[in-house]
Amino acid sequence: MADFTLTSWPPLAGTDMTLAGVRLWAPTDLAVVSLALPLGREDAAMAAIKAAHGTALPEIGKSVVTADGVRLIRLAPDLAFAVFTHATPDAERVVAERLGGAVYTTEQTDVWVALGLSGPDARRALERICMLDLHSDAFAVDDAARTVMEHLGVLILRTGADDYLLLSASSSAMSFLHALETSLRNIA
Amino acid sequence: MSQVNRITGGRIDRSTQIAFTFNGKVMHGHPGDTLASALLANGQRLVGRSFKYHRPRGIFTAGSEEPNALVELRRGAAQEPNTRATTAELFDGLDARSQNHRGPLGFDFMAVTDLLSPFLAAGFYYKTFMWPRAFWEKLYEPAIRDAAGLGRLSGQDDPDIYDKGYLHCDLLVIGSGPAGLMAARTAARAGARVILADEDFALGGRLNAETLAVDGRAGADWAAETVAELAAMSNVRLLGRTTVYGAYDHGVYGALERCTDHLADSGGKPRQVLWRIYAKRAVLAAGATERPIAFGNNDRPGVMLAGAVRAYANRWGVAPGRRVAIFSNNDDGWRTAADLMARGIEVPAVIDSRDRAAPLDLPGTRHVRAGAVADTQGRKGLRRITLTDGQMIDVDCLAVSGGWNPNVHLTCHQRGRPAWRDDLSAFVPGGDLPPGMVVAGAANGALTLGAALREGRAAVEAMGYADKTPLPEAEDEPRDCAPMWHVKDSRARAWLDLQNDVTVKDVKQAHQEGFRAVEHLKRYTTLGMATDQGKTANIPALAIMAECTGKTIPETGTTMFRPPYTPVPIGALAGRARGRHFRPYRLTPSHDWAKANGATFVEVGNWLRAQWFARPGEAGWRDSVDREVRTTRTSVGICDVTTLGKIDIQGRDAAEFLNRVYCNGFATLAVGKVRYGLMLREDGVAYDDGTTARLAEHHYVMTTTTANAVTVFRRLEFARQCLWPDLDVHLISTTDGWAQFAVAGPKSRDLLRKVVDADQDLSNEAFPFMACGAVTVCGGTPARLFRISFSGEMAYEIAVPARYGNAMMGVLMEAGKEFDACPYGTEALGVMRIEKGHAAGNELDGRNTAHNLGMGRMVSQKKDCIGNVLSQRPEMIREDAVQLVGFRPVDPEARLIAGAHFLDTGAEATMDNDQGWMSSVAHSPTLGHAIGLGFLARGAARMGEILRAVSPVHGTETEVVVVSPHFVDPEGERLRG
Repeated sequence: MADFTLTSWPPLAGTDMTLAGVRLWAPTDLAVVSLALPLGREDAAMAAIKAAHGTALPEIGKSVVTADGVRLIRLAPDLAFAVFTHATPDAERVVAERLGGAVYTTEQTDVWVALGLSGPDARRALERICMLDLHSDAFAVDDAARTVMEHLGVLILRTGADDYLLLSASSSAMSFLHALETSLRNIA
Repeated sequence: MSQVNRITGGRIDRSTQIAFTFNGKVMHGHPGDTLASALLANGQRLVGRSFKYHRPRGIFTAGSEEPNALVELRRGAAQEPNTRATTAELFDGLDARSQNHRGPLGFDFMAVTDLLSPFLAAGFYYKTFMWPRAFWEKLYEPAIRDAAGLGRLSGQDDPDIYDKGYLHCDLLVIGSGPAGLMAARTAARAGARVILADEDFALGGRLNAETLAVDGRAGADWAAETVAELAAMSNVRLLGRTTVYGAYDHGVYGALERCTDHLADSGGKPRQVLWRIYAKRAVLAAGATERPIAFGNNDRPGVMLAGAVRAYANRWGVAPGRRVAIFSNNDDGWRTAADLMARGIEVPAVIDSRDRAAPLDLPGTRHVRAGAVADTQGRKGLRRITLTDGQMIDVDCLAVSGGWNPNVHLTCHQRGRPAWRDDLSAFVPGGDLPPGMVVAGAANGALTLGAALREGRAAVEAMGYADKTPLPEAEDEPRDCAPMWHVKDSRARAWLDLQNDVTVKDVKQAHQEGFRAVEHLKRYTTLGMATDQGKTANIPALAIMAECTGKTIPETGTTMFRPPYTPVPIGALAGRARGRHFRPYRLTPSHDWAKANGATFVEVGNWLRAQWFARPGEAGWRDSVDREVRTTRTSVGICDVTTLGKIDIQGRDAAEFLNRVYCNGFATLAVGKVRYGLMLREDGVAYDDGTTARLAEHHYVMTTTTANAVTVFRRLEFARQCLWPDLDVHLISTTDGWAQFAVAGPKSRDLLRKVVDADQDLSNEAFPFMACGAVTVCGGTPARLFRISFSGEMAYEIAVPARYGNAMMGVLMEAGKEFDACPYGTEALGVMRIEKGHAAGNELDGRNTAHNLGMGRMVSQKKDCIGNVLSQRPEMIREDAVQLVGFRPVDPEARLIAGAHFLDTGAEATMDNDQGWMSSVAHSPTLGHAIGLGFLARGAARMGEILRAVSPVHGTETEVVVVSPHFVDPEGERLRG
């Protein structure tokens, strides 16, 4: 058996460009794990998350970065994502072990591709594809929202005043990249 | 040609001269000019020919309401017809051409149609060309289309790029005239997020065209200062060159920004951007449009609206004529006279239809009281006017004012109806405005400058935005108006709709012939149906119809204003959704491998899937597909099946949940096992099928068909949240997360043993048919293995994290070399599933039940599930219903056609004799002849029967034998092997 090795080949690996003064890049080794809170046992699940990460799960539409660098994003009453840097394909197992079975976890890393967008005109570029109001009054730092851009489901996070992280389905990564790249080119 | 009509003043940059061409002739203008102002400056009065009669036409207005001065701009693929010269911003190198004429503009051969006008009155094409009937489509219509019309399309792909976008604001101000500027400034100073949009490239609206003062200085200067203040505010977005063309539901407005139309070269940037603006509130300050008065030959070049004439003089420093008469029914027309005279332009007479003293004292011009213009002379441009009393006055320009119509259009986009105001002789916004919209200034009937400023501020103060600074001082200039729609004493044709060549007589004829409702009038005469949508024509025309019917104007009503306010190019509506990027596309994890290995791709939904993998020497796709099937059935084949939907299901009640969404039982499925499941719609019709694997006590993974991946997920989420919120079930899609490969064929196990890490026993005993489990591959990479088969062979599906998908395909092929493994595509996949008798999309087509599919017994009556009750309706389970069976041609060489219907021998091809239809066909390389699946009435009981498969569409008829749908390995021994 097994003289074979598998090489990791994420769809947007290596993407890093600056257009219109905005950096567009694919973060390396970003892991995503979904956290579902069991019905009727939400308190125990929340407690487990707080115990594991030292931070409570934020409100829906908000995210928080824990001391150990995990961004917890609350998407729904019973659903959150843990996003963190982790190279090997066992992110779910790592998260699950820390939560001790109090939360249903699902590996989501390869379901998504991520693109970061940083620069003063990032919001102006996003105006071309994002129908949400991204003004800081309406979408503050650490806010998160699920939306649709160019027919693609997107999870958008504001990670800084001029910084965004966008996640979309990995199979349509090329269309996703095209959407953002075109937006930047069109405002440049 | 020099700028013979350029006079002093104006808000143009005289320090820069720019060159442009009109019909090939080089002319000059200045930055700040429109094409229209530059043409007038260069003495070019004749700019086009009319739509129907090819009459000479000139520039009529100074704005987007222009009916006449339509030109073609640019060349080649970038050629754009029907551009209004009055809104086209002049730039160096602009190439403009007049349109709708044969031969030179000055001698249009098609002008002969004007002589035929007695035969071409309103509705002529409804009455003529009736015989012979066949001639309409082949002769008459093409000839009419050829003769009439506007500009020409290039016929090539649009080389420009377009974009769209989304904007949000507390307040959208539509129009940057005095009311709009006041509204925007007041709200912006109070901290609101404001978007100020104006179709013009110079913000300020009519302030730029008037000599009225605001706060003791020129109104245009006040406007510029206000715009500068707004531009410096971070909470304000100024959108010049942007037309807000539609008011839609929920405070959404459509706007078209013309980004590079004023540049010779777009520089690779979007030419136009279509904005969707989400506005909490909106102030419509769209101003007003002057209307003409209809009189004989009022369409000659040189006859213009009075407000436009003074706009050309004041804003652009252009004299539209050197000897200009005024014909007005209101005080405002007099201001044109005053402004022209102040600039040294001779105004021989002001013809006022009212019998009253002059509102302005203008020494040097003659006031004709209670006068009217009856006719004009001048073949290609105005030379003389004749008054109703017979007086003739030599002029080269006539400035006409019939009063002003508030631009109410956007107030009507949600079926609001305007209200009539007698004092203005005009419609103003009615009470039923789009939610969140208020109207201010001239658009609201406040036609004086002072009133516009007051209303602009008041509109936003009512929203809670306050500005304590004093209101700018401005006068309320005289605006009295006495209605006059047409000069009744005119004998010559009097034009209402200049763009569509509709005359007063046409309206009267429509009335005579019974087309009296305004909507009928519009369609019978084509009034208001051109690119200008009758902005200058509609109100006078319906006033004339009101005269004819004896009704009042409000009783006569208006046609419905709908978006867009001004034309929106199709390219802008398409935006960036063109070509490959018309919609997103999805790639399988092994796409790159497939591309490098000869795959032909097929679009399946948004996915690009490998259809087959051609090899050298293969003559066509059938060769490739046959080989892929044979290799898989005799050795091993590999297919990327990632596209199947995957839904991760977890929760203490997951088993119960599955039991309720599948028609067959899932409660007893053991951990480590997979089961086929069939879902029904609520009405009992088969919906989707797939397999669900139990990975752990409370953890399942469901597969769906590729086509229904999203809809099944949505349906399950609805069931979870709305139908059974008491169940502890959690769903999340993992379709894209796992690269999944079918490894099928008698050598599949041998191949996988080389890839799956050794601690997993793959023997039939340890990992039998319908087993599943987490494994590792290639030395530790996590994977999932399922012993399931769509092909009917011993087969597995192996899933690895998608990032390894491309490599995994290579590894499987490398490991399969010793077995001559081949990749196979969707065609071979389809052939093998038909050979095996598996239903797919063609069978799960929304019409068939489990009973029709031969799976009626799967609908468990020991439990409830979605669709269970309705699936048991008598009609759904009748004995003589169609059932899925197989077919083979009697003649082994014959082809079968999907969609063919089954008929008894000798039966006529009628619906009454129809016994069912062929749903899927393939050539079976395993059997050496065509095979088909289809639905046949009482099919299961008719094995061996010979029928005709008839396709009237293809004109074919084939004798077929009814057989089992399981052509290959009906006992399922191979897949359990």
